[in-house]
Amino acid sequence: MQSLRFGAAIVTVALALGLSSNEARAVGADAGSTISNTATVDYTVGTVTTTASSNTVNVTVAEILNVAVGAPAAATPVAPGQAAQRLRFRVENTGNGQESFLLTLTSVVTGDDFDPVAAAPSIYLDNGDGVFGAGDVPYVPGTNDPLLNEDGFVYVFVAHNIPSAVTDGQDGFVTLTAAARTGTGPAGTVFAGQGAAGTDAVVGTSTGTQTAQGIYSVQGVTVTATKSQTVNDPFGGNRALPGATIHYSVAVNAVGSGSASTVIFTDKIPAGTEYVAGSLRRNGSPLSDATDADIGEYETTPDPQVKVRIGSLQQSDGTQTITFDVTIKTTN
Amino acid sequence: MTKGIRNYIGIAAILACSFGSQAFAQERGCIVLKSVAEQEKEVVNAKGEKTRQLVAASKIVPGMEVVWTVTANNICKVPSEKVTINNPVPEHMSYVANSAFGAGSDITYSLDGKTFAAPAELSVTENGARRQARADEYRHIRWVFRSPLQPGASAVARFRAVLN
Repeated sequence: MQSLRFGAAIVTVALALGLSSNEARAVGADAGSTISNTATVDYTVGTVTTTASSNTVNVTVAEILNVAVGAPAAATPVAPGQAAQRLRFRVENTGNGQESFLLTLTSVVTGDDFDPVAAAPSIYLDNGDGVFGAGDVPYVPGTNDPLLNEDGFVYVFVAHNIPSAVTDGQDGFVTLTAAARTGTGPAGTVFAGQGAAGTDAVVGTSTGTQTAQGIYSVQGVTVTATKSQTVNDPFGGNRALPGATIHYSVAVNAVGSGSASTVIFTDKIPAGTEYVAGSLRRNGSPLSDATDADIGEYETTPDPQVKVRIGSLQQSDGTQTITFDVTIKTTN
Repeated sequence: MTKGIRNYIGIAAILACSFGSQAFAQERGCIVLKSVAEQEKEVVNAKGEKTRQLVAASKIVPGMEVVWTVTANNICKVPSEKVTINNPVPEHMSYVANSAFGAGSDITYSLDGKTFAAPAELSVTENGARRQARADEYRHIRWVFRSPLQPGASAVARFRAVLN
């Protein structure tokens, strides 16, 4: 019988590196820096022209608390039951001084179709390469809150398990919130003496905290195969006699919004029959029997079978028709 | 309320005292020049009306406006003529368009501190094309007072700049 194997039904969408539009640019004047001003005056008394300077006014720049959280622009495709699926957020200090930020993950968000289940650990701080890997450390609130310089940012990965009961097309929302450790509140709130370099800290327009949403989108796919056969006997009829040729045709289809990766079609040559050399075809195009660069082959061990490595398959690809011939042996 | 200006003058007077000794020590001339940084703050008066007052600048953060006021006071017994106040736009700040003010003065601006002109005559080259300079590109402001500054009188120059 034929079999189909295919990898996790995942659309292999390149991870969107773009940031959502709420990304703000940090501002220029550093907390603790001094803004100075000295005016001059020129004047004439009688015939004498004099230039004089004013006092120099120094104003110290306070720390403004601002943060921007960016989520991936595109939904992350997942399959039912998948574990530890990740979304990448970007947390940027858009204030003007060094600040640490408390990160909070919310996995139950209204307006979606299912609730992703936070994995353990559920938040990781990127090691700087932007890609999830062994160097990324689990986040522990209050212990390793990211300390970001002005304009500094860190990528944050959140990990969730996808419930097995979800169905194709459903979305699950999660949010990540970053909040300035110095404090949050309405714009203009002052934290006296708590800013960078001993200045006052003033809450900026972001209110010192921002939340961004990420989406897990279930993109399921089912791959089916339907086999039919035609018999041609040596006498011009359709009887399955020794020496008759059986023409097999297998229609392979992907159904659903996702994409099946590494789809491999195999079909054992029935006992009492022999594969007709060179008869393997995909959509009418011949495939060589040898195990080589093309996607089809005829294998003899452990059991004779034909194999077609279809690869990625999605609904829009349409029906893939695999055909091959066998002959019924004259002796067993 | 109109008291705002009076309050400002009060603060200026206090600051004048605090800077006075230094200023007098430095200046042997006829005009004492004083610079003050203030912020406009919204306050609610007893009637529940919102008004704006100038208060000493503190807790300046990016995006905030500072009102710079320069006062020239003639301490001599003779008039000073051709009184011209120059003020650079402080570093890390951008001049706020149309905010420069000075009663009885002609105000010009400069991008380089050398050439002063009216806004319409200031231009910059960007991507090979000339365009009129934006207010936030002005780096210097000049007030030329048309009348002599009489003994004991003050001339005031003021502008706003936003912290980048």
